[in-house]
Amino acid sequence: MKKISFSLSMLFLGLNVNGQSNAVTRDTTRRLEEVTVNAAVKRRIENELKMAVSVDEFVASASNISFIKRGAYAWEPLLNNMSSERSTITIDGMHVFGACTDKMDPITSYVESNNLSSIAIKSGQEGNLHGATVAGSIDLKRRNTSFGLQKKIGGAYQTGFEFNNKQTFNLGNLYYSSDKFVADGSIAFRKAGNYYDGNDNEVRHSQYNKFNASLGLAYKTSPLSAVRVDAIFDRAKDVGFPALPMDLWLSRAIITSAAYKQLFEEGLVKVWDTKVYFNAVEHYMDDTTRPENLVHMDMPGWSTTYGLLSKINLQKDRYSSEIQVNAYDNLSIAEMRMYPQDRSKQTMFAYSWPWVTTRFASVAMNNTLDLSDISRVVFGGSLGLNYNYSKYVEFNWIFHPGSPQKKNRVLPSLHASYQLNIGSFDFSIGTGFGHRAPSVSEAYGYYIYNSFDRYDYIGNPDLKNEVSYEANASAGFKTGRLSIGAKANYFFIQDYIIGRILSLGSPMNYQSVGVKGYTSLHHATLFNLALDARYQILPGLDWKAVLTYARGQDNMGGNLPFIRPLSYQTSLHYRYKMIGVQTSINGDFSQVNYSPEYGEDQTASYKIWNASADYNFKIRKLTAVFQVGAENIFNEYYSTYADWGNIPRMGRNIFTSLKINF
Amino acid sequence: MRDLYIKSAAFYILIICLFLTSCTKEKTDYEAERGNTVEENPEFKEVSSSVSSGYNIRIEALGGVLYRGYNDIRVKINKQQTNEPVEVSSVGFRPIQTDAQGVKISCPHQSVLDYTLDGRYFSGYSVFMNTSSEATTCSLEINFKIGDQTFSAIQNVSVKPQTNKNLNMTTFTGKDNEQYIIALISPRKPNVSENKLVAGIYKLDVAQLSYSAVKGYVLQLDPRMPEPSMGNHSSPNNKDLVQQAGGSYQGVVNYTMTGNWTLNFILVNQNGRVIAGTEVPKDFTPGVEGRKSELYIDILF
Repeated sequence: MKKISFSLSMLFLGLNVNGQSNAVTRDTTRRLEEVTVNAAVKRRIENELKMAVSVDEFVASASNISFIKRGAYAWEPLLNNMSSERSTITIDGMHVFGACTDKMDPITSYVESNNLSSIAIKSGQEGNLHGATVAGSIDLKRRNTSFGLQKKIGGAYQTGFEFNNKQTFNLGNLYYSSDKFVADGSIAFRKAGNYYDGNDNEVRHSQYNKFNASLGLAYKTSPLSAVRVDAIFDRAKDVGFPALPMDLWLSRAIITSAAYKQLFEEGLVKVWDTKVYFNAVEHYMDDTTRPENLVHMDMPGWSTTYGLLSKINLQKDRYSSEIQVNAYDNLSIAEMRMYPQDRSKQTMFAYSWPWVTTRFASVAMNNTLDLSDISRVVFGGSLGLNYNYSKYVEFNWIFHPGSPQKKNRVLPSLHASYQLNIGSFDFSIGTGFGHRAPSVSEAYGYYIYNSFDRYDYIGNPDLKNEVSYEANASAGFKTGRLSIGAKANYFFIQDYIIGRILSLGSPMNYQSVGVKGYTSLHHATLFNLALDARYQILPGLDWKAVLTYARGQDNMGGNLPFIRPLSYQTSLHYRYKMIGVQTSINGDFSQVNYSPEYGEDQTASYKIWNASADYNFKIRKLTAVFQVGAENIFNEYYSTYADWGNIPRMGRNIFTSLKINF
Repeated sequence: MRDLYIKSAAFYILIICLFLTSCTKEKTDYEAERGNTVEENPEFKEVSSSVSSGYNIRIEALGGVLYRGYNDIRVKINKQQTNEPVEVSSVGFRPIQTDAQGVKISCPHQSVLDYTLDGRYFSGYSVFMNTSSEATTCSLEINFKIGDQTFSAIQNVSVKPQTNKNLNMTTFTGKDNEQYIIALISPRKPNVSENKLVAGIYKLDVAQLSYSAVKGYVLQLDPRMPEPSMGNHSSPNNKDLVQQAGGSYQGVVNYTMTGNWTLNFILVNQNGRVIAGTEVPKDFTPGVEGRKSELYIDILF
């Protein structure tokens, strides 16, 4: 159980991460078991309660991640209570940008749990390796099998059924490993109907249908070098978004990369890893399923990214370092076509992303220096250049006459932390500073309808960089049976970008009530606190609890939107031989600090009880796990602070799954 | 080893190409979207020509057609025999429309044409109030001076309906009981953007039966999309039309998307009195067709 459980201490600061990477590097130098050296410790894509989770459900089990939910599918991850444009979300360091202006396709929706091996979450400026950030980074790490495994061919098959929304899923993955050649493949199907809320009412338009496949091929070019090509294909079709006035007809993504890796046995440089990548995302909305809509609209979006990243790991005595160069070019296009009621008349057309190119290049360096056996400093920095070009800048000129078509930005970042480990206690204290550029929507968006506050949003190309100053600290105590930890961070964000009501213009989308423009607040502050404890009551019986608190305020002391209320999770795990039983309770307290100004209303508290049991068994040479469980056993009717349009969450859900490893 | 890498890379690129070319929906051709039926810069072509006193008088307009509304006009005068340009010291111009009752009214026009050296032509404009029909005929009166001699010629021309709604016009009686014409001059082909909006505003002199440009008025502008589903949508940063040195009125209109738009106007005279037009509701009213000012011009692009 320990192996699959989430190590909370890792999540907040990711400090252990650097410590571990050295060991991994040394291992691979000798044998090159893996093609990529992953800095983070692997965690299997399962959460404590459920072994067959979606990527969303898995990411959600990290204590500094929360989600904006617009339905049952494609949740938008919030890191440190900040929306996704403030964090860098990457797949193996590759930047992929969603093609939906309404953020209905976060990157996490284009992967599947069986083509990932782990997810590395870093908080704040420590996450600057892949690009400029404020909140931190979420890197989805793909599965890749080592060379020369004893078992040449292996894999897993997982299937299951969830009763509430009649979800069926079939996930399979297969590998082949020889001394010279490795192949990894995975395929996944998920199909779900509408779910039912706690009052047993059907939540219409909450169905989804997803197909995902991936393939990776690696070839050892010498004892110390290898090439690898990877591709992920993802297709979601007929996905309902109950909180929005339209659904998804089709989204497709192809995510590809080719990598070369060289290890060095001698010298300061241990690993050199280079990758070129390409990905294309297309996303088509459909409102023909909503006859109540006054206007028929088409909203297709495309996002194409080319990129490069190159990284070296250095190590000498007590010092280790990673240096990474990133570059990418992204073109984001989103169209909006409205049909008049008399279809014979001319349609109305505009770009919501007027062919916006973003080019970004950065150099980042993160260093770890062991000062002594008990203390260590981690420090680093990055310097990024961000270039934007709006092809049809005349759209932006309507609200911002004379704004430039091209914009260059310099994005510096620095961070440092000190860690101390005395006996059973460990402490850390850190600070960071960094800039981020506005996102495509924030800078160049044009009448992007936000169904949460029901405003049309207009980007501003002249927005200043958002500048973050952060401080973080943690303290922990650990013995054989007990561990207690506390993590806190504080962000002071200058020129915080948020939408404010404009006195100009009038709405374009018929559901909206007005126009908001992205503007910079003088500053905003955010504070996050997480407390966690574990205790081994008996051998095999573990208790765990997490409490998180967050507070976000603007410069006038008003509340920021989407800040998670005081929330808790407590769970109990019991394992006896081949049987495991787990139960958990989680919930949020009532949302005290909500923000009516940004379209929020007060969300009531809720409490969810979940339980599951699993059984491990063997069929000849195969190992298998069968699990059955239930979520929201009390069938509570609730919605969370981040549920778009207060759509109710799923009521009681019984789930079953079977996993066979071969 | 290299070979294998190259092979797999080639295979890879092939896959990418397949996906690239198979984008599910095509992106919109934006150039076509904003009206490819309208030529942005049509050429001047001959409308008609006549011979008078040994001189060839050639009248040109954009595309060789005169439309109801505003028209740029060029006049070229050559010797009939040699077709060589002659030294013309000035050209006077007057378009006249005759209605079924035989009443002759001169349309808004530029009475003395400007000479352009490089093209060797004289240029001006005319605003035709009506299309040619059996009841309404139109003729252009041209007087030109060569040396001390003055010559004149009259040519009958045909006026076609304007198909480009961006060059629409309207005629109305103001609160001062005067007859007015507002004719759009540009843009011919607007963009989803800021557009310089140019219009001519003319008043009828009843005694002379002739229109002339009004001076010092202001044409207040409120552009909106009339389509019910657009809920009276408008745009920001528009500027009222004020008179320029050349006599025409110029302002700024922002179109936020393609489609049908109504330019709602209020015409105010030099003393600040409202001559015509009414305020329109500013509320966002989805599902209701936008109410128009009493003075408006519909456009479409």
